[in-house]
Amino acid sequence: MLYDASLNFIFWCPTKVVFGQNTALDVVMEVENLGCKRALIVTDRDLIKNTDIPERIKKALGKLSAGIFSDVEADSGVHIVNQGAKFGKEVGADCLVSVGGGSAIDTAKGIAILLKEGGKLQDYVGFQILTRPQTPHIVIPTTAGTGSEVTYIAVIKDHEEGRKLLFGDYHILPNVAILDPRMTEGLSPRLTAATGMDAMCHAIEAMHSLQREPIADGIALHAIRLIKEFLPKAVENGKDMLARGQMLIAANIAGGAFSNAQVAVVHALAHSVGARFKVHHGLANSILLPPCLRYNADVCGEVYLDVLSALGVNIEGIQPDQAGEVAADKIIEFTMKLGLPQRLRDVGVPEEGLRECSELALSDGAIIYNPKLISESTEVLQIYQQAW
Amino acid sequence: MAIAFPSVEWVEEYKKQINLSEGYKKAGATWTAGAVALVTLAKPEIGLNEDFGIWLDLHQGVCREAKVVTAEEAQKAPFCITGDYARWKQVIKKELEPVKGMMQGKLKLKGDLPTIVRYVKASQELVECSTRIETKFLDE
Ligand SMILES: [Fe+2]
Repeated sequence: MLYDASLNFIFWCPTKVVFGQNTALDVVMEVENLGCKRALIVTDRDLIKNTDIPERIKKALGKLSAGIFSDVEADSGVHIVNQGAKFGKEVGADCLVSVGGGSAIDTAKGIAILLKEGGKLQDYVGFQILTRPQTPHIVIPTTAGTGSEVTYIAVIKDHEEGRKLLFGDYHILPNVAILDPRMTEGLSPRLTAATGMDAMCHAIEAMHSLQREPIADGIALHAIRLIKEFLPKAVENGKDMLARGQMLIAANIAGGAFSNAQVAVVHALAHSVGARFKVHHGLANSILLPPCLRYNADVCGEVYLDVLSALGVNIEGIQPDQAGEVAADKIIEFTMKLGLPQRLRDVGVPEEGLRECSELALSDGAIIYNPKLISESTEVLQIYQQAW
Repeated sequence: MAIAFPSVEWVEEYKKQINLSEGYKKAGATWTAGAVALVTLAKPEIGLNEDFGIWLDLHQGVCREAKVVTAEEAQKAPFCITGDYARWKQVIKKELEPVKGMMQGKLKLKGDLPTIVRYVKASQELVECSTRIETKFLDE
């Protein structure tokens, strides 16, 4: 059986979700609903340089706009959060509208803390230490993958100290997520595929996590179905608004699943190659998923049968102990069709770097949720070698 | 004889149990990240009138000092874990895994989670040590 009588969990997903084409332009209603008057837009450099999205949001906000902070970079840092908070104070912001991918959203989560609590961001490193709601935060994702709009985690780099600061707090969960398919139509096929596979990994990892539970499982399974059907379509034709929309929904619910059930070995390993060799998070996940499924296969048979069903595979005749292998093969087939690279060597990871990544992965928060206990770096190294 | 949790005597016994534990000595052998403080929030109904802080000076598999501190002092430790009485009772009874508790907000962690994760075995050994104390819970 997948659960037993000792099952106990908390499912906490209070973010209001607004979905539909052009709903981003209704952002002003959401700001008003939150009782706010000065919304600071937080976005990244690429988006402001290459698209008119931040300007359109600003225009939609009208006189409720407090301005745009657009200095977010791919690997957001404490210094950027500090700058954003300083700017926010100067313009009298009372709420945040983050527009972008995971980095912009996490930066805004950090700014939300500083605008409310003051002090140094480093003082709030930890889990569940905030005691009151933070600055209201509306998210408009421009990628369909991270699910950050519904997670209570923010990862912000302390570039001076060379380490990642981890914040986990129910009080930094965004208040509203506006999922507007138009916001993702400009995303390249490669990024669409890679971020979509991040969402796929969130869904599968929530299901094989030690903290798996039925609510998260239910939405994770549906996320897998949606990704299976709509990710190839969104990659093939970025203007396919049905596919773009369904992918936003898939990423969102997969985010809700893993924010509660957690992620495991795939993410632990992906974070480490990301930190060490700057491999795109979704790409790293996509490459590492199949060998991780094989690694967990002997303890996750039933779970992986469910995953296979959601992937549209007829599971009649597949034994639980074969399910991990079959699922790994299916994922490879799927990502090959998406045109994604299959090996770590193809994305800039040198073989001699694997050992260091293995050590790093052991201190990643995700690894403790893996259904098979991993305590030796040699076990991690074997998975990396398979993916190399 | 059973020792009340929390109390000065319990903290002394805890130090003893940690230093008797081969499991902790091994799992925490490379720990140099500093002290860990555990704060139990006040619960006047059961006679716990103030927050109760336990300061564990842990270093390379040894507990060099264990003392009672105020909640305020406890915040100065590199790692401070706070929870109400019922939660700590669950931890000592092995009904609540501390890292899971932190993620879910049942316990609050001030400090770097990845460091704790790297030493998850050591943290389990520390819980194990607490179970070896014959504990009298104030609400029983
Ligand atoms: Fe992810």
